[in-house]
Amino acid sequence: MIAQLRVDDRLIHGQVALVWTKELDTPGIIVANDNAAANDMVQMTLKMATPTGKKLLIRSVQDAITVFNNPKASGMRIFALTNSVQDALAIAKAVPDIGGINVANVGRFAENAKEATQLSPTLMLTDSELAALKELATLDVPVFSQVVPSNAKTAISSLLKNHD
Amino acid sequence: MQRILIASHGHFASGLKSSIEILTGMGEQISTIDAYVDDSDYTTQITAFIAQAETPAVIFTDLKGGSVNQKVMLAAAGKTDLYIISQINLAIILAVLLDPAPLSAAHLDELIAQSQVERIELTASADESDADFLS
Repeated sequence: MIAQLRVDDRLIHGQVALVWTKELDTPGIIVANDNAAANDMVQMTLKMATPTGKKLLIRSVQDAITVFNNPKASGMRIFALTNSVQDALAIAKAVPDIGGINVANVGRFAENAKEATQLSPTLMLTDSELAALKELATLDVPVFSQVVPSNAKTAISSLLKNHD
Repeated sequence: MQRILIASHGHFASGLKSSIEILTGMGEQISTIDAYVDDSDYTTQITAFIAQAETPAVIFTDLKGGSVNQKVMLAAAGKTDLYIISQINLAIILAVLLDPAPLSAAHLDELIAQSQVERIELTASADESDADFLS
């Protein structure tokens, strides 16, 4: 099962590798990202960032959904990562068993960041991402934002309150 | 009560704390001494840390043999369950901060061995199959 699906435009990085894999106690990490699945250089940097002793799978979003829905995956705690809200929404609609969706870091590296809507210090969303996030918030799974475990979990619904 | 102190020449110590806060949100668990940024005597801050420290405690210093390290060694002399680690980097402080195992000299040596400065090159490695991952 997916213990947590994290939306983070840095995918595997310090906060994820050092802190969250320990916090969530997940032996496996799946990066669901079309660009990473097709780019050898990105794959090598993600492998370098993966903590010792953790398994890593890098797949396109569609191929990752196939893995998440493999019966063997139900017995394994998986930490899933996407770098966009849209990709997380596609997974949430196609995969039944998700412990929670953590929309953590979005928009810092986007080219059109100036036109984005700022929901929190780490969430700057384009209009299409905002629409995807609103849809994500209607699904039957906890959706929240928590950059590191020592931060409080903020419900996405409360961040969206003033953005109807 | 704190159990980690970083002491450095200049703002290295508070800079490391800033990095740790961004990465872990646990910056408040770390005391720092930025020595020589003004003309105050920082040795009282070392003894104050040791006096309140929850043991086992660790003091990290920037440079083996540097004056900050010498002051720490003198202040820590004869104390038990107080470890001094020098020649530090961000990785070793994170390793100690995040490690759940009880601190001992042997365990600290393991963490240090895993936190070395290294030259890195990207190398291609075989892709894991879905079956390998799920097994």
